[in-house]
Amino acid sequence: MDELRILYRYRQLIAALTARDLKARYRGSILGFFWSLANPLLLLAVYTLVFTFFFPSNLIHPYPLFLFAGILPWTFFSAAVLESTTSISSNAGLIKKVMFPAEALPLVTVASHLVHFALAMPVLLVATAGFALHGDITISGTILLVPFLMILQTLFVAGIAMTVSSASVLFRDLRDILTNLMQLGFFVTPILYLVDRVASRPLRALLRLNPMTPFIVSYQDVIFFGHLPGLADTLLMIAYAFVSVAMGIMVFGRLRDTLAEAI
Amino acid sequence: MSDYAIALTNVSKSYRLWGRGSQFATLKSALLKRDLALTPETSIEAVRDVSFAVDRGEAFGIIGRNGSGKSTLLKLISGILKPTSGSVRVNGRVAALIELGAGFHPEITGRENIYINGIMLGLSRREIEARFEQIVAFSGIPEFIDQPVKTYSSGMYVRLGFAVAVHVDPDVLLIDEVLSVGDEEFSAKCVAKIQEMKYRGVTLVFVTHQLDQVRNLCDRALWIDHGEPETIGDPVRVVDAYLQAVSSTQTAPPRATEPDVKVLAEERPRDDAGEEERWGSGEIVLSRVALVDSRGDELVAVGPGTPVAIDMDVLVRVPQDDFVFGIGIYHADGTCVYGTNTDLEGLMPERLETNGRVRFVMPALDLVAGTYRIDAAIHTRNGRAFDYRRGVIRFVVGSRVHDIGVYRPKHQWKFDGGIAFREIDLEQRNVPIEVAEAMREARKPKLKT
Repeated sequence: MDELRILYRYRQLIAALTARDLKARYRGSILGFFWSLANPLLLLAVYTLVFTFFFPSNLIHPYPLFLFAGILPWTFFSAAVLESTTSISSNAGLIKKVMFPAEALPLVTVASHLVHFALAMPVLLVATAGFALHGDITISGTILLVPFLMILQTLFVAGIAMTVSSASVLFRDLRDILTNLMQLGFFVTPILYLVDRVASRPLRALLRLNPMTPFIVSYQDVIFFGHLPGLADTLLMIAYAFVSVAMGIMVFGRLRDTLAEAI
Repeated sequence: MSDYAIALTNVSKSYRLWGRGSQFATLKSALLKRDLALTPETSIEAVRDVSFAVDRGEAFGIIGRNGSGKSTLLKLISGILKPTSGSVRVNGRVAALIELGAGFHPEITGRENIYINGIMLGLSRREIEARFEQIVAFSGIPEFIDQPVKTYSSGMYVRLGFAVAVHVDPDVLLIDEVLSVGDEEFSAKCVAKIQEMKYRGVTLVFVTHQLDQVRNLCDRALWIDHGEPETIGDPVRVVDAYLQAVSSTQTAPPRATEPDVKVLAEERPRDDAGEEERWGSGEIVLSRVALVDSRGDELVAVGPGTPVAIDMDVLVRVPQDDFVFGIGIYHADGTCVYGTNTDLEGLMPERLETNGRVRFVMPALDLVAGTYRIDAAIHTRNGRAFDYRRGVIRFVVGSRVHDIGVYRPKHQWKFDGGIAFREIDLEQRNVPIEVAEAMREARKPKLKT
């Protein structure tokens, strides 16, 4: 509960630091914030090109949109978690020299990646509308559930980020471990394929154990397939979000006092 | 609200020294050991069993050698570090000047950094807006405020950092050796600002090697050595004890048994009314100090304008060629009325071989009625005391006129034209003391106009 109070107290700080992060990232670049739109747009263009002309896929149609619906939330997850591993050590000055709430740092990382994710959403919506006009899919009202999914996913990501940010101060190799895990994770999460199409039964069970699976599947459900997320997936998402936040608070709380020395 | 600003109770702080095996601790090794708490192989105690309290509005100095634990103590007070044992309690908003501009981001402008730094120090956006102009004005770099901070010189960086930190309006300000940064002009500005904050009632804690600052700015000081408190109390005395220790490790001068330099427990010089404090290395001793009239008779009470002298009998145990005699006159409330010494007045020491007498003659002691004390000292030119006698003399200045202040210049009222007064004998006025006091109080505000 202490953690939550601290967070509330420092909400302005988190907001200001997030704005600073975003500003600093685009300072000196010509397109500025437009990069947040341009990146997913170019990504979508490449997928469309590749999977329409190079490897036409007819299992899932339109495949580029399916891929896009899964890849954006995955990128949010993996980029935020990986970057949070250095969020504390790269701000050693703040931790050692200023009275600074260390928990703000991983959350700022998560918040700034959430902004990128949110800025990519309009591109996804326009693409969905485009494919719908073309007659490939029909847009369903379930797309309005996207913000709800984003909230749950953000909680999940924030909890993980708090855990790994504090733990990686003590365990320097955590970042390398996670970088590799994320590469593996991309393939053991149903982003490129559907879980049901996986032939091997144990592999399907493994996919079900991956905590990112219900999130990705639900995004695909509401955006691509136009139906509500499954009950099991919904409950799992809520459970993962809360477990992750609880773990983040616990681990961070345990390590916070040693950060200034260990950094 | 409690009356202390900072209270440390039996505070100890150990730093863990990670052994070679766990220096770059890996997750794998931790999992194998099944111990996420990481028991360190060795630890060193940076601060050991420190207890002290700092009152609201007090200026408190912490001195000591490098590595003695000063900065650790400051970080413990600020909350950056947590004590290994004991408790640290701080009342009010704390601002720490440990490294100026530590929170600045190089890519964004000075203006944006002021906002973020201010928020880090606990201000709201609106509060920063209200102070923004003052901060920029104090920093003295308004023309660069919209440039990215990475283009700043290190001096500009520090100026901006200090400007933000002192405009946070903290209740407690912690300062770690930062007053020595920047050019002369800015340094003076910082000291002036800090004095202003002290005057406004901000509690100040300094860590510094600039002993003059401790003597001039602090009400009390702590000398910490190897993590343990050595002395706490009057800053002049603590600084002196520290200088003694530092010089004795270098030259080890002969130590006299009397006066005893052994430092006492905590004491408050302002509260105690009559006790003399005395310290010094004892090669030279001021065996008698007295306030005398023109005939050489000792005085306890003095009328205004009376010619007086301070007599000091000097006992030489070890002849010296570096020595300064000094005197100071203080009002009972602690205000320094006057202080001087032979060095300040351009007297170069030539010899001090045998016992003698020093007389400080004042043709008139133009003081307002009140209780005063005199400090007398003999010390080296860099301030190491042979014998320092604080409050060696207490005396009272009596007067029939209830004027106020400490200094009474020789003066006269003159009236021309249609203004006339009738003089009365003040003895005959027969005003009860309480009424006289009340009248003096009532007169005070008028003096401000």
